Amino acid sequence: MRLAFKLAFRNLIGAGLRTWLNVIVLAFAFILIVFYHGLNSGWNEQAKRETVEWEVGQGQLRNNGYDPYDPFTIADGHGRIDNPQAQGLEPVLIRQGSIYPDGRMFSTFLRGMDPNQKVLKVPVHLLKDSKADFPVLIGKRMAESAHLKQGDEVLMRWRDKHGTYDATTITVAGIFDSNLPSIDAGQIWMDIHKLWEITGMPENEATFYISATAKENMDVEGWTYYNQASLVQYIDDLAEMDKIGAMIMYGLLLAIALLAIFDTQVLSIFRRQKEIGTYIALGLTRARVVAIFTVEGSMYSIFASVVGMVAGYPLFAYFAKTGIGMGETPANGIATLQRIYPVYGVGLIVSTTALVIISATIVSFLPSKKIARMNPVDALKGKLQ
Amino acid sequence: MSENIISLKNVVKKFPVGDGFFTALKGIDLEFEKGEFAGLIGPSGSGKTTLLNIMGSLDAPTEGQALVMGKDIATLSHKQSALLRNMHIGFVFQVYNLLPVYTVFENVEFSLLLQNHTAAERKKMVMDALEWVGIENQADKKPAKLSGGEGQRVAIARAMVKRPEIVLADEPTANLDAKNAHAILKTMKQLNKELGTTFVFSTHDEKVMGYLDRIISLEDGKVVKDEVVEAQYTV
Repeated sequence: MRLAFKLAFRNLIGAGLRTWLNVIVLAFAFILIVFYHGLNSGWNEQAKRETVEWEVGQGQLRNNGYDPYDPFTIADGHGRIDNPQAQGLEPVLIRQGSIYPDGRMFSTFLRGMDPNQKVLKVPVHLLKDSKADFPVLIGKRMAESAHLKQGDEVLMRWRDKHGTYDATTITVAGIFDSNLPSIDAGQIWMDIHKLWEITGMPENEATFYISATAKENMDVEGWTYYNQASLVQYIDDLAEMDKIGAMIMYGLLLAIALLAIFDTQVLSIFRRQKEIGTYIALGLTRARVVAIFTVEGSMYSIFASVVGMVAGYPLFAYFAKTGIGMGETPANGIATLQRIYPVYGVGLIVSTTALVIISATIVSFLPSKKIARMNPVDALKGKLQ
Repeated sequence: MSENIISLKNVVKKFPVGDGFFTALKGIDLEFEKGEFAGLIGPSGSGKTTLLNIMGSLDAPTEGQALVMGKDIATLSHKQSALLRNMHIGFVFQVYNLLPVYTVFENVEFSLLLQNHTAAERKKMVMDALEWVGIENQADKKPAKLSGGEGQRVAIARAMVKRPEIVLADEPTANLDAKNAHAILKTMKQLNKELGTTFVFSTHDEKVMGYLDRIISLEDGKVVKDEVVEAQYTV
């Protein structure tokens, strides 16, 4: 086998441009696969990180009456546990309300959270610094859609615990920038103490509690604990679904590159019949000649992986550092990242290299098998087989 | 000259043609001893190359027995016949059949890569072989840069580098001018004398015949004359 590698290497280097054309096509496929895969991994990791940092924390203890996918459960899906802070739980209360910017009605969710909390990145601490009577925070998506800016005052209406409507003027004390539409679009953040007060709800009343520390489970009657992994599982599921599309793209890319190798191998075996006959006359077994041609094909992929890594590294490093701007994307609850920072792990590089080498070896072996059936005398004469 | 290294007994070779067969060799009986400088002559289609291919274990007889270095060609596996060629038989082809992407040195070295030689041994053997044929200064050139005569010298060096017992040369001078042809033949005759290598040619070149010690005439797949002759040219 060592000899096959040695001879294949010499043949490929000796073949010059033909070799490098194949290598470039395959290296291009290699770079695109790694790049696209890195982009997906980057999105997946970032989306999870953002979701954890801005929305789910280390886990959530959710009132059994509340279903985040059903807004009608907000009215009754709340409750209270004693001294949640002692258990590392931060209460979040959600109520429905509406605001009237420029006389237009906007349905909103009022989210109350303690301004002293350190569990989520939502900058509710800004509420403490505001001099306004009723300061609130909104995200930039909400600010854009409602045409609100910092310092604006707007009428807010809500219903208290008895269902009675009440209204007051709120002041936009800050606008935060988050990649997570679910905590931004249509959401108004306020001090939870204020929310308890205006709704007439008792202290520690919450729709869910966010855990500051990782817990596997909590046993509280009327409440269900969701750990962090289960809360971000939908991102993995989305990534998994996206994988199918990605696999089709990888397949097409590889197919184009492998077709070039297959074509070269078929042509090579046809054009190099005399050479094959000479190898056999010089004492190589047919199996060894098959091995040389197969290794030649595999070597395209080895060269391509090396060229791909060398040529692709600056590109990968640049985008991993600066990220890739994704523009504005519609707000649908999933983390919509404006910049994705691709992640290239060793596993990704190794698995892509292995995929390229194995597939190139297979497509090289298929036409090379023909050599085993060649008559050396006909091969030496260069007779069409 | 007493050791029999090639023995052909009633060798018949048939090739399928359409629904039937074409019989290229019709019961050949020949023996070659160590150190012979012999030639197969005859018109095109007389079976010279077919016979050479069987002696080189590139092909097997349809009937009869071909013993080369004591091995029955028909019974050898692919691996065994490859080993026989690598260890004992050198080939010189009409169009040289040099490997185009290799240098002269690498072309000559090729057979040695299949044997257990160190790099230093290989280098010495290759340079010796190139010296025998007088092209040691062309070692780094690619075949495309060589003249016809030089190319055939490389082919001879490649055949001789492993010191085989037998060299089979198929029309080795057909593509060469008279001067180069004589030079090549002198080189081969010299190697035959110095190393005791058996040379068997297939040719219709009169110049080649002038160097042969034995001429076997083939016609229509049969040996019509087998005579020991006085070589016209000596070295």
